[in-house]
Amino acid sequence: MSGLTILTAYDERPDGLGPGDAVYRAGGTDLQERLRTTGATPHVLDLTGVPGFAGIERAGTGTTIGAGTTVEALTRELAADYPALALTAAGLATPQVRATATIGGNLLQRTRCWYFRHPHLTCLKCGGDSCPARDGRHLYGVAFDTAPCVHPHPSSLAMALLTYAATVTTTQRDGLTIGDLLGDGSDPSRDHLLGDDEVLTRVTLPPPVAGEQGAYYRAISRFEAEWPLVEAVCRVARDDAGTITSCGVAIGGVAPTPLRLKAVEAMLTGSTLDDDVVAAAASAATAGASPLPETGYKVDLVEATVREVLERVRS
Amino acid sequence: MELTTTVNDEPRAVEVGGTEVAVDVLRDHLGLTGTKLVCGSGVCGACTILVDGEPVLACLTPATRLRDCAVTTVEGLADGAELHPVQRAFAHHDGLQCGYCTPGFVVDAVAFHDRWRADHGTTEPTREVIAEALAGHLCRCGSYEGVYRAVAAACRGEHDGGAGIVERVDAPAKLTGAAVFTTDVVLPGMLHAVIRRSDVAAGLVGPITFPDGVVGVELLGADRRVRWAGQPIAAVAAESLAEARRVARELDVPLTPESFVLDPDEAVRPGAPLVYATRADRKNAPSAGEGGAPMPVSWDGNRHGPSRTPFLGTVAKRRISSARAAGRRGLVELEVGTTAQLHTAFEPHACVADWSDAQHLRVWLSTQGVDQLRLSIAERFDLDPTQVEVVAEYVGGGFGAKLSLTPEAVGAISLSRLARRPVRLVLDRHEELTATGNRPGSRSRVALLVDEDTQGIRALTVDSDSHGGVAVGGSAASLAMLLYDRTPRLARDVDVVTNAPPGAPFRGPGGPTSAWALESTVDEVAHRFGRDPIELRAQWDGNPKRQALYRWAGALPTWRQRQATGSRAGRYRRGVGVAAGNWIYIVDPDCEVVVSVESGRLVASSATQDMGTGSRTVVARAVAGVFGVDPSQVDVRLGRSHGGTAHGPASGGSRTTVSLWSTAVEAATTLRDRVGTDLSTVPDGATAGAKRGGDRGMRAVPVTMNGVQIGRGFSAALHVTEVEVDTRTGKTRVLRVHGGIAVGRIHAPVLARSQCEGSVIQGIGLALYENQVLDPHTGLTLTANLEDYRIPQLGDTPEIDIHFHEEGWDHVPGGGIGLGEVATVSPAASVGNAIFNATGWRPLTLPVRPDRLLEGLRAGVTR
Repeated sequence: MSGLTILTAYDERPDGLGPGDAVYRAGGTDLQERLRTTGATPHVLDLTGVPGFAGIERAGTGTTIGAGTTVEALTRELAADYPALALTAAGLATPQVRATATIGGNLLQRTRCWYFRHPHLTCLKCGGDSCPARDGRHLYGVAFDTAPCVHPHPSSLAMALLTYAATVTTTQRDGLTIGDLLGDGSDPSRDHLLGDDEVLTRVTLPPPVAGEQGAYYRAISRFEAEWPLVEAVCRVARDDAGTITSCGVAIGGVAPTPLRLKAVEAMLTGSTLDDDVVAAAASAATAGASPLPETGYKVDLVEATVREVLERVRS
Repeated sequence: MELTTTVNDEPRAVEVGGTEVAVDVLRDHLGLTGTKLVCGSGVCGACTILVDGEPVLACLTPATRLRDCAVTTVEGLADGAELHPVQRAFAHHDGLQCGYCTPGFVVDAVAFHDRWRADHGTTEPTREVIAEALAGHLCRCGSYEGVYRAVAAACRGEHDGGAGIVERVDAPAKLTGAAVFTTDVVLPGMLHAVIRRSDVAAGLVGPITFPDGVVGVELLGADRRVRWAGQPIAAVAAESLAEARRVARELDVPLTPESFVLDPDEAVRPGAPLVYATRADRKNAPSAGEGGAPMPVSWDGNRHGPSRTPFLGTVAKRRISSARAAGRRGLVELEVGTTAQLHTAFEPHACVADWSDAQHLRVWLSTQGVDQLRLSIAERFDLDPTQVEVVAEYVGGGFGAKLSLTPEAVGAISLSRLARRPVRLVLDRHEELTATGNRPGSRSRVALLVDEDTQGIRALTVDSDSHGGVAVGGSAASLAMLLYDRTPRLARDVDVVTNAPPGAPFRGPGGPTSAWALESTVDEVAHRFGRDPIELRAQWDGNPKRQALYRWAGALPTWRQRQATGSRAGRYRRGVGVAAGNWIYIVDPDCEVVVSVESGRLVASSATQDMGTGSRTVVARAVAGVFGVDPSQVDVRLGRSHGGTAHGPASGGSRTTVSLWSTAVEAATTLRDRVGTDLSTVPDGATAGAKRGGDRGMRAVPVTMNGVQIGRGFSAALHVTEVEVDTRTGKTRVLRVHGGIAVGRIHAPVLARSQCEGSVIQGIGLALYENQVLDPHTGLTLTANLEDYRIPQLGDTPEIDIHFHEEGWDHVPGGGIGLGEVATVSPAASVGNAIFNATGWRPLTLPVRPDRLLEGLRAGVTR
């Protein structure tokens, strides 16, 4: 029977555990599935008992979200002042998963590539020396082929957090950007850049922008509860004349990490989001795309989803 | 660590490990097997439980989270004998079929209902609200319409009191977790077994030596060859599942890899590796068809066939080739393809074998044929059939993949013989979605020649390649010969074998594939000549039952408001399509039912099984009707076959209802005539039996094959489907389906409707989502989980209207036949034709994923 420690402090560590002998667990929705597949029984360091691990606190300098805050809590508690993040949270997974999965776990989950998750295959992320999806099957792969691994990063919340320029705090570092946390995919063995004994403790958002609107769209084949083919999020603040004073736009499901589209944001800022601007911005979102043989459709979907969120935020 | 928790109001203390999850605690430590493990990855919701009132997934929730909580499982929803209103609503509205996903659905629905009622009183939630709330649940039988009806009715407060109606006689057992499936069977001293499988697609296996103390058996054929990745090599048993997994993983299997071929195009090229090198090898090829090929057909490399089904075939070929040479407008040719569809039964293939008594072998098996399997097992293990007992009291779906003696049974039985202890062998989801069969993918070429003035049909040829991996038995072309029967025609079925996992019979084997080819082509003919697709079919079709369906469909508002193909503009485009289906009628003439009285209650028994298709209810209704009592007053004993049981039909080929109904009526009538209807005065042991027999003088083919007779007449179906295509994102939503089914009298109308609704939902999966993907370098299945293998969800369910045409089967005792197959044939093709009507773009390859639709629409724009 595998060992278990319910932590009461982040730096607590039972005696005799070497590096790599233990895993940290928050909600467990990613970890438990991987443990079932691999049959591994590492010592579990359960974070849910650490004081302050879950919870949202607002202050004048910004809003901090404990890493153990559930996705469901984000949808409920942030809907008014961080609508883009709340809508993204509401759009992922299923009600039961959202009730259990945490913001920290969502950011740090492993890739959802069907090669990585396969019990009998290896890839760059699990001890292999090449990406079998690249010259294998990659229907759900990247459309911006900028790294050795060709599966997109799975974190929808990371995409939304990019538009806020959110930062994260770990047990060892403070003020990391989402980019610092996830890297750029150039080390294909990793889905994030935390050290072995480093724990993500909280996410910090800047203060809310009054009157800001948000929109999220996930292109999938079915009703709901499906990993996105492509997803997009935007947040927009406008003045009384309807002119955009600030905005954030990002896309996911298409690249080694979610992409913030600063060029698109620049096109939108100062505009009134008329049809021409929306069309031009959606088209510009595909700039630099480099699809794989099976992912050309994702370029169309980038344009479609960006257009969708801009139209939604306008209406 | 040790933790205390309260489960269904009872305090419990359990010792749990760090990596254990709630479902382990409930099922393995506490014996609460109502909670089901299906996907193991949080996708399907079957294991949903309430922790302090909140729905959570027991397969992912760490066991430690149960500490000092109040846990409610499906076993704890009822208040003593009084079901929760939501459970009563599910029973009344038949929100379930096989029952394997039901515990999760009903637990979550109770949580939703209680929340909703607190906030909204008895206001009915919309379908959208229900779909959102229960988005974390999947049902492979496709009981979604029943779930909507049940949840809405419960929220309206209609089931707050009273006993309520139970349409499916075993619904209460399934809704309370009392139903025992094979996966729930636990025997004292039981060992746990797993199968060691090949992770290469072709190879030769050397001698395997099982280490001392390891109980192991080989599962290879005599040639010791592996032909597909995932093929069973050996099975090993140990004291725990974890230990068995370790032993299997570490087992030394000397395997020399050989060259293999996965792509059907490459498989037919000269020099391609041969899947079956010798005549003896070819004889052992498994079949994806039902009942086996009637005629031997030849092999050419990896091509098996063609198997020809001609009627004036030479005339048909000549007419079509000269029309092609002349460029005649009356000739419409289409080449279409389908992708393998995985059965995805929620109860995996599972067996618990107990051969600890050398003279008596007891086998709990998730099977569609308890009686057939008893005979197969006896033959395979050299026993007298009276020494074997097969039990499958509840079966969590089969869809055709549980009709034969499969490796989990061979493995468990063989290991139990060695160990002289009970052995449990249950496949995990990865194995279930890799190795247990599929509806083969296909490529078909159809040529249909019509008179340019009258559109009278002049010739039809269908050439279909079946891509069943290592399996043969494709029949899509020959099935296409049975609808429009007034013309010269020729079908050629070819199996192109590859080193891919084997196909297996899947509801209406070959049927949906056949309809995708033929009915798309018919639709194209109608479009080319500006004809109404229903009228055109009616012009060609000699089946009077389908003629009645054409009249019904033509009058539907959905059809009458259909707009011209390609006339829609804008982002969202709606369209309506139609497709016809056909199936043969088979019956088990040896079917027996015994009816008796025990302690004043009626008892009916037969060695058949109920995998969610409703055979238990059919028998109950038949007997109850004779005695004038409610079906709940009849105890139906199915799911058990031993030397003393009455022979019952396998659940395959739509044969159960037509075999059981009249037999049960006859047995009950004999008993009633003997003892009267006042059962309280009848002494125990009063018994009458009946045997079905054939339909006298009404056989289509005067032989009995594999225990069944082909009877006279074809069943018929017609599906009219409305879709909405989002041209921006490539997503297709099915809005509405009208299904017309002509199988004569319906013996259990509510259950029959549920089964037809499920056929529609499975057809939508085939049409739009379900997409088996293999790794081209290894042949391993990449879509072996329910994230990547995408089956329809509650929210994908259209409004479904099922219409039964009940005439035309008076020559059959009871006046009606089965519908499991015919109802599956045409839904997918009707979706494709609706997409064409909506967009003017003809989908040729299934599934019509967003990427294919976007590509098709883009090509249409530039054309």
